[in-house]
Amino acid sequence: MSKAHADVVLISGHDGGTGASPLTSIKHAGAPWELGLAETQQTLLLNGLRDRIVVQTDGQMKTGRDVIIAALLGAEEYGFATAPLVVSGCVMMRVCHLDTCPVGVATQNPVLRERFSGRPEFVVNFFEFVAEEVREYLAALGFRSLDEAIGRIDLLDTERAVDHWKASGLDLSPILHRPELPAGAALRCVTTQDHGLEKALDNTLIQLAGSAIATGEKVTLELPIRNVNRTVGTMLGHELTRRRGADGLPDDTIDITFTGSAGNSFGAFVPKGITLRLVGDANDYVGKGLSGGRISVRPDPAAPFEPEQQIIAGNVILYGATSGELFARGIVGERFCVRNSGATAVVEGVGDHALEYMTGGRAVILGGTGRNIAAGMSGGIGYVLDLVPERVNPEMVEIEPLDDADRAFLRDVVERHLAETGSTVAEKLLADWEGSLERISKIMPRDYKRVLTAKARAEAEGRDVDEAIMAASQS
Amino acid sequence: MADPKGFLTVSRELPQRRPVDVRIKSWSEVYESFGRDRLEKQASRCMDCGIPFCHQGCPLGNLIPEWNDLVYRTDWREAIERLHATNNFPEFTGKLCPAPCEAACVLGINQDPVTIKRVEAEIIDRAWAEGWVAPQPPAVRTGRRVAVIGSGPAGLAAAQQLTRAGHDVTVYERDDRIGGLLRYGIPEFKMEKRHLDRRLGQMRAEGTEFKTSVNVGVDVTAEELRERYDAVLLAGGATVRRDLPVPGRELAGVYQAMEYLPDANRVQEGDYAEPKITAAGKHVVVIGGGDTGADCIGTAIRQGAASVTQLEIMPQPPAERPGSQPWPTYPTLYKMESAHEELADLGGDRLYALSTVEFLGDADGNVRALKVVGVEGPETGFRPIPGTEREIPAQLVTLAMGFLGPQREGLLEQLGVELDQRGNVVRDATYATSVEGVFVAGDMGRGQSLIVWAIAEGRAAAAGVDTYLTGTTALPYPIPPTARPIA
Repeated sequence: MSKAHADVVLISGHDGGTGASPLTSIKHAGAPWELGLAETQQTLLLNGLRDRIVVQTDGQMKTGRDVIIAALLGAEEYGFATAPLVVSGCVMMRVCHLDTCPVGVATQNPVLRERFSGRPEFVVNFFEFVAEEVREYLAALGFRSLDEAIGRIDLLDTERAVDHWKASGLDLSPILHRPELPAGAALRCVTTQDHGLEKALDNTLIQLAGSAIATGEKVTLELPIRNVNRTVGTMLGHELTRRRGADGLPDDTIDITFTGSAGNSFGAFVPKGITLRLVGDANDYVGKGLSGGRISVRPDPAAPFEPEQQIIAGNVILYGATSGELFARGIVGERFCVRNSGATAVVEGVGDHALEYMTGGRAVILGGTGRNIAAGMSGGIGYVLDLVPERVNPEMVEIEPLDDADRAFLRDVVERHLAETGSTVAEKLLADWEGSLERISKIMPRDYKRVLTAKARAEAEGRDVDEAIMAASQS
Repeated sequence: MADPKGFLTVSRELPQRRPVDVRIKSWSEVYESFGRDRLEKQASRCMDCGIPFCHQGCPLGNLIPEWNDLVYRTDWREAIERLHATNNFPEFTGKLCPAPCEAACVLGINQDPVTIKRVEAEIIDRAWAEGWVAPQPPAVRTGRRVAVIGSGPAGLAAAQQLTRAGHDVTVYERDDRIGGLLRYGIPEFKMEKRHLDRRLGQMRAEGTEFKTSVNVGVDVTAEELRERYDAVLLAGGATVRRDLPVPGRELAGVYQAMEYLPDANRVQEGDYAEPKITAAGKHVVVIGGGDTGADCIGTAIRQGAASVTQLEIMPQPPAERPGSQPWPTYPTLYKMESAHEELADLGGDRLYALSTVEFLGDADGNVRALKVVGVEGPETGFRPIPGTEREIPAQLVTLAMGFLGPQREGLLEQLGVELDQRGNVVRDATYATSVEGVFVAGDMGRGQSLIVWAIAEGRAAAAGVDTYLTGTTALPYPIPPTARPIA
């Protein structure tokens, strides 16, 4: 991680976690942060990397003592969640996922939120006590600041723990080991990572597309791409958003065609006005957090294989996308469209767990799927060609026939898929469109449908739409 | 889980009490029947909390969310199994417990708690009615003999547990009937004694022996008892009553509540037709604002008192939970028990922050009035407020001021068990006293407490006795002796 220029590594222990988890996960998954933290610290020190990365730890931290132990083991940042939640009124009902939190913490239901009795002062007070306890321990250890304590594993008094009968037979020395270090080696982060951003392909893109951002004039570019080029388009998108605001530019204003194999996170967070066309293939996270941009991926025309039978892009495509479009001629990996809340996508096959936790947007899958489609899917719509119903996770969704609006939408996006990618799959479907529609199933979240129906009815009757949605979501 | 949104759609509801003017004409229980479907709805309010604080409130470890859910799903048969798994006598706690579980209910943070106590009572009532409560005699007998001294809830719970573990258990009671305070302290209108008799029938069928009118320490010495039995469990309660040593205490007509209430209960048992201490036609003053005081009020009203006044030295408690007694603690609140309703109906007063300084008598040595004074306190003790003295007429006074601890003379002195500073019997984590083979459970070790704590102690002490006798035990151990209510 440190070598890959991560700024922070978080060692997240098993003790904490959301109350929405099943009891088996709460009790039986993960390992203590102490183990991971000790190992992390030692590894970073041995490799001379500790000085450039921040080590963070969490997992049921509650007291200043926890903080000090984490500091001595090598962490400089400490995550608290459960304790401040309890301070604000959480009673650990473990119903965070059911919208029935009786103390109004984990809910948006106004009736329940009224019961929330927490105040920011409570949390401030809690952390003041934690800080005070940290100071007491620091004073006892002879330190002037927390920085001085970080990584001082030699000061951890383990006698009582090791002498305990339960610890007999345990060898704790690997945890307490302190590597041989050259004089003056830093035990904590004292410098920053060199991310090498000046070498990023996006610098070129910003330079070439600068006029478009400034004037709004259309720019069309063609560039080669390699898999060392990661998050291509993201800095360009940043620049566009910085100068043009959230509205971006008209679609396709900056139109870039890449040829080659794209690195991780191709087109991540790309805003409206940018279109990235990739001829070749892509790694994981294509269109992560897509924010209005357009992405298309198609194989090299010279490729000898059938595109719809080959993987064109990796896992977790469109993770957390909020708007925009993606067309991919070929199969994509696992967790396609996970947490998508608004983007539209057309692909020709997916791995396991497609549409997981989707809350909005539309996903069209014109090919085979893996298992567990639509787990935790509370919004958006999925369309799947030749769906195997057993592969759908039925907990929150229904499989429904298409209506007129669906047919019109599908016709439009399949035609565009053909136009964008030259897909032969799309071409064949369009050749017998009525027959093709018979083969497409619609995956619809039950609650989402109820809200959409209520919204449509409220609009038709001229009532307050927000109120109707709220009422429908709570029934 | 019961209905996840039950608490949002159903509000708390309890059965009605019968009208005051009707119920004070009889001694039967005050509640009307509730109806099964309404109770099942009430049970749906339980949220099956991730951290069920009712478990912290109740020392028995009652599986409250589980049987709430079972009632909601109308699986009453399984519900009584789950209830009996942790509580030998749910009919006692279901009718008499002040329900610290409800004070600790998570719903109680911001709305009315689940009617846990009512659900418990209905489960056991239904179980008895359906014949689901059968004796559970042990499959194998150990041949070990255990004497249980005292037949209150602690003694009975321990006796039932030890009998079911296969030991030969004999319960000794110095009164003429089994039950301790359940028998002679609790008025009929709070719990009809048929519930107690029914449970004792089950215990007898399981093989528990009962010996009444045997005062251990007098009729039989402690030494004889230890020779005759492999283990002895003391469950004699905290019977020493707090007294009010002011001038005139010796006057006729001034009684301890535990003299007055047993007398009234004996009439209900059919020992005699008219009570020896009666409130009929008299102005009655009850000193003490607690549950025993309320029992005295209800009893005096049913006997036909001319007036009843209740005195309490503490200030009137608030109606709502004050900030100083936050959830999930058990708060001291101004309660409206059935007896208080009857008192209000009669026009009687509940007077607070008053201390009695003297009982005034007539020429014949009968009490005719109390001299009381307003007091400040209790933060730094109680101080009389000058100029607030007044007289309250009374021909009958009952003292319901709590208990100080177990009786030392007799049994405890003969055994020579070690006592703590408060005079309670010292015990270790297995409920063993300082004397080999002698154990203690309930108020005798803890000091005055609730029925639910007595049952929990009885169950836990049974585990200690069983381990002592057999080297191991499968009996549950709900609480250590050091457990205390959340506060």
